[in-house]
Amino acid sequence: MLLAPALAGIVAFLALPILVVAWISLTRWNLLAPPTFVGLDNWVRVLTEPTFGHSMLVTVLFVAMVIPTQTGLGLLMAVLLSRGLPGSAFFRVVYVVPWICAPLALGVVWKWIFAPYGGALNALLGTSVEWLTSPALALPAVAAVSIWSQVGYVTLFFLAGLAAIPGQLLEAAALDGAGAWQTFWRIKLPLLGPTTFFVLVTGVIASFQAFDHIYALTPDGGPQGATDVIAARIYLDAFGSGAFDLGRAAVMALCLFAVLVVVTVLQQRFFARRVTYDLS
Amino acid sequence: MTSPDTRGRRRSEALRPASLLAYLVLVVGAVLTLAPFLLSFLTALKTPRQFASQSPLAWPDPVTGENFAELFGGGGFISPVVVTAQVVVVVVVGQLVFSIMAAYAFAWLRFPGRDGLFWLFLATLMVPQVVTVVPLYTMFSAVGLSNTFWALVLPFVLGSPYAVFLLREYFRGIPADLLDAARIDGAGTWTILWRVVVPLARPIVATLGIITVVTHWNTFLWPLIITTGPTWQTVTVATAALQSQYDSNWTLVMAATTVAIAPLLVVFAVFQRHIVSSISLTGFR
Repeated sequence: MLLAPALAGIVAFLALPILVVAWISLTRWNLLAPPTFVGLDNWVRVLTEPTFGHSMLVTVLFVAMVIPTQTGLGLLMAVLLSRGLPGSAFFRVVYVVPWICAPLALGVVWKWIFAPYGGALNALLGTSVEWLTSPALALPAVAAVSIWSQVGYVTLFFLAGLAAIPGQLLEAAALDGAGAWQTFWRIKLPLLGPTTFFVLVTGVIASFQAFDHIYALTPDGGPQGATDVIAARIYLDAFGSGAFDLGRAAVMALCLFAVLVVVTVLQQRFFARRVTYDLS
Repeated sequence: MTSPDTRGRRRSEALRPASLLAYLVLVVGAVLTLAPFLLSFLTALKTPRQFASQSPLAWPDPVTGENFAELFGGGGFISPVVVTAQVVVVVVVGQLVFSIMAAYAFAWLRFPGRDGLFWLFLATLMVPQVVTVVPLYTMFSAVGLSNTFWALVLPFVLGSPYAVFLLREYFRGIPADLLDAARIDGAGTWTILWRVVVPLARPIVATLGIITVVTHWNTFLWPLIITTGPTWQTVTVATAALQSQYDSNWTLVMAATTVAIAPLLVVFAVFQRHIVSSISLTGFR
C-alpha cells in the first residue's frame, strides 16, 4: 500500500513520541536506572520551582525582541524592494543567504564576532564589551542574531504580498490624491493582513522553539540564565548538565507544546476577525 | 522584457532623492547581511599568529590553508562531512519517494478513513521537534539504536507530513482526464504515479528536494542528542564540539564554520532563483 511507509513514519516518530513523552513526564528517570512511576510529582516540581517560570519569561522576552523587529524590518525592506529600482533582484537574493545556512554554524560565527578579545564587533567599535557574558546584553545579542538571519525570509513574504495587491486599487488611490505615505498605511498595510498573519504565526512558533544558535552562542543558558530559553532548558535538563532529569524535560516539552497550540489558536481568532477583504 | 523607454524612466527614477535613500538602506542591509560571512571566511584564511597579533578586521597576510589542513587532519573533519552527506542523500531519496507515494494516495485513491488519516498527517505538522527529541531518544536507546547511522536517518526517511501536504495539493491540480486516459491505456497505479504524475510534478519535487537537502545538512538538535563520540558526528555537531574544545582558536573554528556553510552557499548560488521563488510559495521549513 502506497501510504504504509509514510504512515508508519508518522505514527512511530511523531504520534507515538507524544504518548511516550506524556508517560515520561510521570516518571523519575535519569537514563541509568530504570524509570520509576511518580505520578504528578514532576508536574508539581516544574510548575512550583522558579526555573521553568524563568525560562518561560526569557523565551517570551526573546520572542518580544525578535518578532516585532524582524517583521518591521522585513516590511521596510520589502517596501523598498517593491519600488522596482534596478538591482532589487540582487538585494532580494542577498538578504535570504543567512536563512539557508545552519543556525548552529551562524551561531558559532557570531560567537567569534561577539568575542571580547579578537572579536570583530569590538574591533570595529574600538571597545571590549562582554556581549555574551553580560546579563543585560546576552539576550539582546542572541535576539539580534535571530533577527539578522530571518529578516530576508520575512522580506520575501511581504514582497509576494505586495505584488499581489491589484494595481487598479493603487491607481484609484493615486487618482483620489493619496500620497505614498497614505497609500501605504491605508491600502497596502491592511491588504497585507494575511501575509502579516502568516509571518507572525510562523515567526512566533519558530522563535518559541529557537535552540541551535542560542546553544552555539551561550551553551549553558547564558550569564545568570539570561538566555535560558525553554528549548535550551529542556535540552540541558534532559542531556546537558549531567542531571539527566528526563521527567522534568518531558513536562516542560509538553508545556511548550501547549503554549504553541494556544498561540496558534489565539492568533487565528484575532486575525479571523480583522482580515477579510473581498476584492472581487 | 523592458522596453528602452521604461528602462530610461526607471533609471531617472533611481536618481530621485527618495530612491537614493532607499538605495542607501538596501546597501547597508546587504553589507550587514554579508559581512559576517566574509569576515569569518577571511579569518579562516589567516595564520593563528597573524590573528593573535593584528586586528581581527585585518586582511589575511599571508593567505594560508593551514587551518583547513588542520581541520581535516587533526580536527577529524572528513568523517562528519562524509556522514552528513550520506544522511542527506538517504533522507532526501527516502523522503521524496515515500512522501510522493503517500501524497498520491491522499490525492487520487479512494479508501476508507482517507480524510481522517490526512487530518492525522496535518495535525503532526504542529508537533515541534523540541517536544519529540526526548521520547525519540528513549525509544532509540531502548532498541539499542542510539549512536548509529539508522538513528540519524530513520525518523525522517519515511516521509514528512509537510512534503506530503505540499505534494498532495500539487497532485490535486493534475487533470483527472490525464490519469483516466493512462488507466484506459492499461497503466497500473504504480506506472501512473511514476510515469505520469511525478514527471508533471517535477517543479514541486525539485523544490522539496532542495528544501530537504538544506534542512538535513543544517539539522543539529537530533544528531547532537543521539550521537556520542566522533563516529557518527554530523558537520553541525562536529562544529559545535570543535568550538567548545578549541575555544578562542578562532582561525580553526572559522574554518569549520566555513565547511558547514559553504556547500549550501554553492547550492544557493546554483538554485537561487528556484529557492527564492519557492520560499514564499511553500513556507520552507
